Amino acid sequence: MEPNQIVVCRCEEVTLQELQETANSYQCSSRELKLRTRAGMGYCGGRTCRNLIDMVVKEVTGIAPGDAVPLSYQPPVRPVTFDLLGGKK
Amino acid sequence: MTDVLIVGAGPAGLSAGIACAQHGLQVNILDEFTLPGGRLLGQLHEEPDGSWWNGMAEAKRLVEQAKNLGVHIDCGVSVYDVAKTETGWRVSTTRGIIEVPKLLLATGAAETTIPLPDWTLPGVMSIGAAQVMTNVQRVKVGNRGIVIGVNVLSLAIARELQLAGIHVDRIVLPARNLLTKDSGNPEKVMQSMLRLAHLAPSTFIRLGSKLIKSEAMLKLALSFLPSSGIRMWGIPIQVKVAALEIFGDKQVEGVKIVKVNTKGEPVLGTEKVIPADFVCIAGGLSPLVELAAVAGCPFAYLPELGGHIPLHNERMQTPVAGLYVAGNITGIESAKVAAAQGTVAGLSIADEFGKLPEKKLLQTAMKKVEVVREHAVIQFDPYIEKGRRTISSMYAQQNTGA
Repeated sequence: MEPNQIVVCRCEEVTLQELQETANSYQCSSRELKLRTRAGMGYCGGRTCRNLIDMVVKEVTGIAPGDAVPLSYQPPVRPVTFDLLGGKK
Repeated sequence: MTDVLIVGAGPAGLSAGIACAQHGLQVNILDEFTLPGGRLLGQLHEEPDGSWWNGMAEAKRLVEQAKNLGVHIDCGVSVYDVAKTETGWRVSTTRGIIEVPKLLLATGAAETTIPLPDWTLPGVMSIGAAQVMTNVQRVKVGNRGIVIGVNVLSLAIARELQLAGIHVDRIVLPARNLLTKDSGNPEKVMQSMLRLAHLAPSTFIRLGSKLIKSEAMLKLALSFLPSSGIRMWGIPIQVKVAALEIFGDKQVEGVKIVKVNTKGEPVLGTEKVIPADFVCIAGGLSPLVELAAVAGCPFAYLPELGGHIPLHNERMQTPVAGLYVAGNITGIESAKVAAAQGTVAGLSIADEFGKLPEKKLLQTAMKKVEVVREHAVIQFDPYIEKGRRTISSMYAQQNTGA
């Protein structure tokens, strides 16, 4: 397997190569990288790859994360059922 | 009526619950896992003085003490949202909504992965998952494993797997790529390993580590280090070997490794395939801060503490009224530090309720955190104290509006 085919975001199956190329073309923030590739937007809410997305941005653009969390957290912070959120059966 | 809701029943949350209950507060502790104790449940290691740290026994002791004081502990419950109200917090859990005046987040840490080719195959797990399966669920993770990532956590857990009768073939570095960086750099790894040398069972390693304190000596020592590595408890720790890829058809069948030079660059032609039926990835820990972020707490980025940390002071208060933090959410440190911080948070909350007549208790508890930190057997990062000072001064600035 080619090293660049390493999966970074498991939920959305986004590879390291895709992230690296996108970050390189757009010299973008974590948020823009997320929106362009869907990395971190899957079922788990970015719990596995959020730090890796920040790291790709840091390595490619040279800009380290600031004090504010680069990819904002939104509730629900755990996968929950629609029923629990007030949906009707 | 609950006075304090604590998220996380690990060493920090339990200690905080005990301190609150001892001062007459009604406490409810929630935990996502099915058992209370948090990371304590998996911990089993020998201290330098020869005694054993049995995390499970420690967890049992804390849980019993908390329960005897009337603390309610609910397990298997997740908190998925928190929102500020006029009188405190509205906490959304998988068992319904809880309204509470004070909220303590003791959510601990999450593991960071190291992405390698085919790390998504079944049979590949984080080192922490292997620990929980082995020591808590008593499930054998496999017969022959390879650990990728050389750090304090991977060494401690490899030893635990060995004690459970599971064969760990070797511990190697991840091959260098954009995301592995320092964890794939033998020099950096050796530097951090030397801080753990006092834990080594061999006098030779302990003495050796004293001799290679300087950068130049370290590089020299590393250049002479054979690729077969150093053995600890009979497990080869190979800082000059890197995992190129994990492979297998439907599940892990092995790892392709390669010798690397002192910079972590592969030596061509030395690739080798090592069979394995499980692989553990040890990429370190980062604070689990989701709820602090949702609660509107400001952060500081401090890599020496593990990443983004919610601002807090020595009393474990955040700048958000009624919101407290304790344990690894405030930085990656040992369970003993987490417990000491939990006690501070608990006393600090009691004080806020006007239920701490003896102010000295809080001062003593704050002092204890520092003492425990100083004497910690396992220091996760050499610059922890610097990070702690930074966060205190940032908190002070925030609160004076500077």
